[in-house]
Amino acid sequence: MREQISKFSQSPKAQAIFFAAYVIVTALGLYLMQTSVIAFLLLLFSILILYYLKLKTRTKWLIGLFIIAVVVPLVASQGPSFQSYMEVGTLVGIYAAMSLGLNVVVGFAGLLDLGFIAFFAVGAYTYAIFASTQASHFMPFGHYPLPGDTFWLFILIGAIIASIFGILLGIPVLRVRGDYLAIVTLGFGEIIRIVLNNMDHPINITNGALGISSITPPNFLGIPIGNSSQFYFIVLGIFLVVIYIVTRLEHSKLGRAWKAVRDNEIAAQASGIPLVKTKLAAFAIGASFSGMMGAVFAAKQMYVDATSFTYLESTMILVMVILGGMGSVPGVILGAAVVTILNTQVLTDLSNWLTQLSTNGVISIPDALSPAKMQRLIFGILLVVFALYRTQGLIPHKNRKINVEKLKKEASEAPGGALLSKERAETGGTD
Amino acid sequence: MLQQIIQILPQVLVDGLTLGFIYAVVAIGYTLVYGILELINFAHGDVFMTGSFIGAGVLFFLMSIGFLSSVPSLIVFIIVILIAALATGFLGVGIERVAYRPLRRRNAPKLIALITSIGISFILEDVVRFIAELKTGNYIITAPSLFKTQYHLNIHSIMPFFHNVTFQASFLVVLVVTVVMLISLDIFVNRTKWGMAMRAVAQDRETASLMSINVNRVISVTFFIGSALGGATGVLFMIQYGTIDPYIGFILGIKAFTAAVLGGIGNIRGAMLGGILLGLMEMFAAANLSTITHGAMGAEYKDVFAFIILILVLIFKPEGLFGKAVVEKV
Amino acid sequence: MSILEVKNLTKQFGGLTATSDISMGVEKNSITAVIGPNGAGKTTFFNMITAVYRPTSGDILLNGKSLVGLKPHQVSKFGITRTFQNIRLFNEQTVLDNVLVGMHQRLKGHWVGTLLHFPNVKREEENAKIEAYKILEYVGLEEYVNENAGNLAYGAQRRLEIARAIAAKPKVLLLDEPAAGMNPKETQKLTDLIHDMRTRLDVTIILIEHDMKLVMKISDFIYVLDHGELIASGVPEEIRNNKRVIEAYLGKGAVLNG
Repeated sequence: MREQISKFSQSPKAQAIFFAAYVIVTALGLYLMQTSVIAFLLLLFSILILYYLKLKTRTKWLIGLFIIAVVVPLVASQGPSFQSYMEVGTLVGIYAAMSLGLNVVVGFAGLLDLGFIAFFAVGAYTYAIFASTQASHFMPFGHYPLPGDTFWLFILIGAIIASIFGILLGIPVLRVRGDYLAIVTLGFGEIIRIVLNNMDHPINITNGALGISSITPPNFLGIPIGNSSQFYFIVLGIFLVVIYIVTRLEHSKLGRAWKAVRDNEIAAQASGIPLVKTKLAAFAIGASFSGMMGAVFAAKQMYVDATSFTYLESTMILVMVILGGMGSVPGVILGAAVVTILNTQVLTDLSNWLTQLSTNGVISIPDALSPAKMQRLIFGILLVVFALYRTQGLIPHKNRKINVEKLKKEASEAPGGALLSKERAETGGTD
Repeated sequence: MLQQIIQILPQVLVDGLTLGFIYAVVAIGYTLVYGILELINFAHGDVFMTGSFIGAGVLFFLMSIGFLSSVPSLIVFIIVILIAALATGFLGVGIERVAYRPLRRRNAPKLIALITSIGISFILEDVVRFIAELKTGNYIITAPSLFKTQYHLNIHSIMPFFHNVTFQASFLVVLVVTVVMLISLDIFVNRTKWGMAMRAVAQDRETASLMSINVNRVISVTFFIGSALGGATGVLFMIQYGTIDPYIGFILGIKAFTAAVLGGIGNIRGAMLGGILLGLMEMFAAANLSTITHGAMGAEYKDVFAFIILILVLIFKPEGLFGKAVVEKV
Repeated sequence: MSILEVKNLTKQFGGLTATSDISMGVEKNSITAVIGPNGAGKTTFFNMITAVYRPTSGDILLNGKSLVGLKPHQVSKFGITRTFQNIRLFNEQTVLDNVLVGMHQRLKGHWVGTLLHFPNVKREEENAKIEAYKILEYVGLEEYVNENAGNLAYGAQRRLEIARAIAAKPKVLLLDEPAAGMNPKETQKLTDLIHDMRTRLDVTIILIEHDMKLVMKISDFIYVLDHGELIASGVPEEIRNNKRVIEAYLGKGAVLNG
């Protein structure tokens, strides 16, 4: 038996066959049982299996994309639950992008940001204000709401405004000693929320506690976008961009600088890394992902108010990062998926089921115990358990291994060797 | 405008002092733990909250057995606050055992300890909500009234530029109890063997352990004292403000932490002064922001005000008003 | 010609004077040792040169330009890098990445270029890796390229710190107790490495060291600090016979003669 398993883990062919069978079976299952959440989740689970297969990275990406972009929507589209499945998918994408943003800040740069949701809020309000009549309250020019075509532009604007906020917050705050940063960012998150909740006077900018409603839906080549199944693809597109940015940066000069600052600030500085600038870059880039998704969120909900941007939400994103594994891109995506599905699907379903049992008189469960209300307890337990017993998360971060043989060969072929040369970077210059 | 501000100043002073003393005691919990472990114990605000609920629970129980009508309320109050303080004291020790000590043993990064404390804070909030909701059907609880007698201080007749001041008997209780707690803590830390051990561990944990001080025991004692003080203050909060919910510890905790930073983290007397100062400033802002900004900003910005103080202090005077600068060893 | 000049350098922490009125000049391409008993202010002195601490008074000049008031990363850019007494590696990163971080300020590529796949950024990155590998070969760590720095043995960690420091192509290299905790064989290898670096990398080396044998063997010039003050300076032979130095090291005379 053990022999067979080890054989299986060595053979890409056997794995490919097994994987194809798994995808076909679960896809068929969902196709036939459209209302079965379990079938839907099992199909999504195939992505995780795919991650562990012994295939080329590029092949995995292509297969994964095919499943997410074609198989899942196609198979799920046959029944009444289509939109709710796509809604879950959309939310997973939104939260995964945000947790990748927070991962840059916490996982790469080692800065604990407890007010991360503020950047999401900034992105959401930016689109909401201009894509509704709200902007006409204070803008001296222009006609509002702006048409839905501008949504695409606002994804970018959301990113930019959020990163400006990130920098504005960072400039004062990043001088603060490490552990104080957590509490300062927490305070900042609350400030943003309170301000958004009260900016209906003296000038009405955010419409206060009432929130902003009737936000114009996006428009794609004249087609208005209003369904989750359509937003699913927008979110998927942004999500892919975010993954690309994160993975590219992780192994770049900037990514190394982030991790150096995280591992040892003093040594990082002594190696020529400007501390504040490097941290600001993490804040700004992390925030920009949230800003983009904020704009999408506002367009999707067509309504925003400050209650969506509380400390609980910030912590939820932190839970995703810790659960998945700080610094680990695949881990964080998995963490986001698990928490989002738990939060939007599993807990609600469980609560409904329990309520049904209660009304049928099978068992009596007090309302206080309703799983949908237990978010805090679940998040709290996840944080404590993972911090204490599995700090590296579900999929631990792995450093990229360099092909030593290739490097050795290149080094021996390289002319002279820079090490021996006496040329040197010019003195001077400030950073 | 100035006249308006001056008129209500005495009332602001009374309200600010009430709040300030509460901040002061909770701030001590943060400062004690930070002084010894360099850890922001995010769960401390929720220990305070748990204290207020335990107090309310005991009070309800005493009421249900008819104790409240037959015994003077002062005695009832002392029983309640002692039970709550003991319970939260042990809660604090338990939290340290379960959540922080294992991390310390394996030398985990600070970030991890912070995250654990956030987790503990969430767990406490939800467990308290759960129990409260199960028992009463609602997680917002209105405590039975104690010391609700209203007093009027007629200062207007003596100093006509002031308005009169109103306060409840509970104001005096808060004042007396917090002052007693603050003084006894100060004596404990500065005059007793345990207090000396605490200061030694705060200064240098390794050397202290070489001096045959049981560091873990000292840390436990620190958590017990900090948490018991926090829990007792929870009871005071409940008596003073009447309504409690599981989420009061969050904002109040951050503000108490602000107070601790204001006074120089690790500095006990600093935390007391910081708390009182913050309470006064916050009440002043709440009462006058609207007047000062001509209605553009109202009392709803008082929390923002406190956070801004926190951020400003951390940036410009991170050692606090009464603390010492720390140089990192290279 | 002095490459590094220190003038009347004083550092006070509150009421405590860590170093007081130190002046010295370091010859270009020399190996200079700073010695002294524990608590003499040697590391504080290094920390001031690398801008970890700002001196209370006095000046530090590199090729005639003042370094006082710069940020630590700017000092590195000016051409001074260092190792640390209590090893400070990026433990969670690979050995290769540690060296690449050392090259940080020499790499010009901007992150926008990384995202847009600019060919020059890509080429620079590849060349950097090759160079980092050569540096690792040079210090003898090439078999640990993919290992996490935190997993290395103690002596290897010390060498990695040196690799990271020379990756920046410094003009002046500060070594803070490089031989601490090494066995005689490792110390011998280190001695060879320091000698070789001076000629091959054309670098000026200043080191703090307690191993007197090493110091006497390797240094061109020695400065002795005691209680924050400069009590002696000279070539090894002079220091060996200096009365004040022997006094400062009272009881350690045997080591000095060894």
